[in-house]
Amino acid sequence: MSPEALERELDHLHPAAFGWALACCAGDRVAAEDALQASYLKILDGRARFDGRASFRTWLFSVVRYTAAGQRRRAVLRRWLPLAALGATSDGRPDAVTELVRADGTRRLTATLATLPRRQREVLHLVFYQDLTIAEAAEVVGISLGTARTHYERGKAALRKLLKEELE
Amino acid sequence: MTEHDLGERFHALRREDAAAAPALRTTLAAARARAATTPRRRTLALGAAAIVLAGVALALLLARRAVPTDLATVRLKTPTDFLLALPNEDLLRTVPHFITIDSPRRTP
Repeated sequence: MSPEALERELDHLHPAAFGWALACCAGDRVAAEDALQASYLKILDGRARFDGRASFRTWLFSVVRYTAAGQRRRAVLRRWLPLAALGATSDGRPDAVTELVRADGTRRLTATLATLPRRQREVLHLVFYQDLTIAEAAEVVGISLGTARTHYERGKAALRKLLKEELE
Repeated sequence: MTEHDLGERFHALRREDAAAAPALRTTLAAARARAATTPRRRTLALGAAAIVLAGVALALLLARRAVPTDLATVRLKTPTDFLLALPNEDLLRTVPHFITIDSPRRTP
């Protein structure tokens, strides 16, 4: 894929990729922007190459997910080691500004999603937010279709129950 | 709550996120700026690691030199050492002390 075509694809998917990065970074905007920049950098300098086996969108989401996971691991390491002086570390929680500008309904949704296990949260986000199929979501997360289906059903049931409890 | 309601909530979240998303051009510019600074940071980290390793190596070298080895006290113990053991070998390792008795000289 030529650099121009690559940038065109990124331009088209950028808002969705930002939403996915936010989901991967538990709503922390700074960490999400960081993960997105690092992902684009990997793509543009050829460290991550699209081989056409999956759709460009699922591949891009996989790169973002992998990069965000790496950042999360480094953030944990930085918190344990005395390296805080080298740069601000993400604490894996949504930042206050992002939460403040959200409407009540979406704030409740993000807060409820945060209580679910990571895999369930990821699969629900990819299916409901990104309109991917469960098979595509499984590809992004790197799990089998059966496992993704289980996470989807369990996550959906848990989310419904929690949101219903909140409304009552 | 139906699946449709859940979908609606997620779509509202998507609209909010899309409105707050930074422009692609800004993100790409930040990514490129990051690429320009990354090698410097990597070089600094490698330099720091090299200094620490050199320090540890030097400390180990000095610690080794500080302990002299007295070859006279070194004794190799083999598993077949017991074959060389003799009964009462302690007695053989000591020099017998002879008692001298002063007798009065006989004078002719």
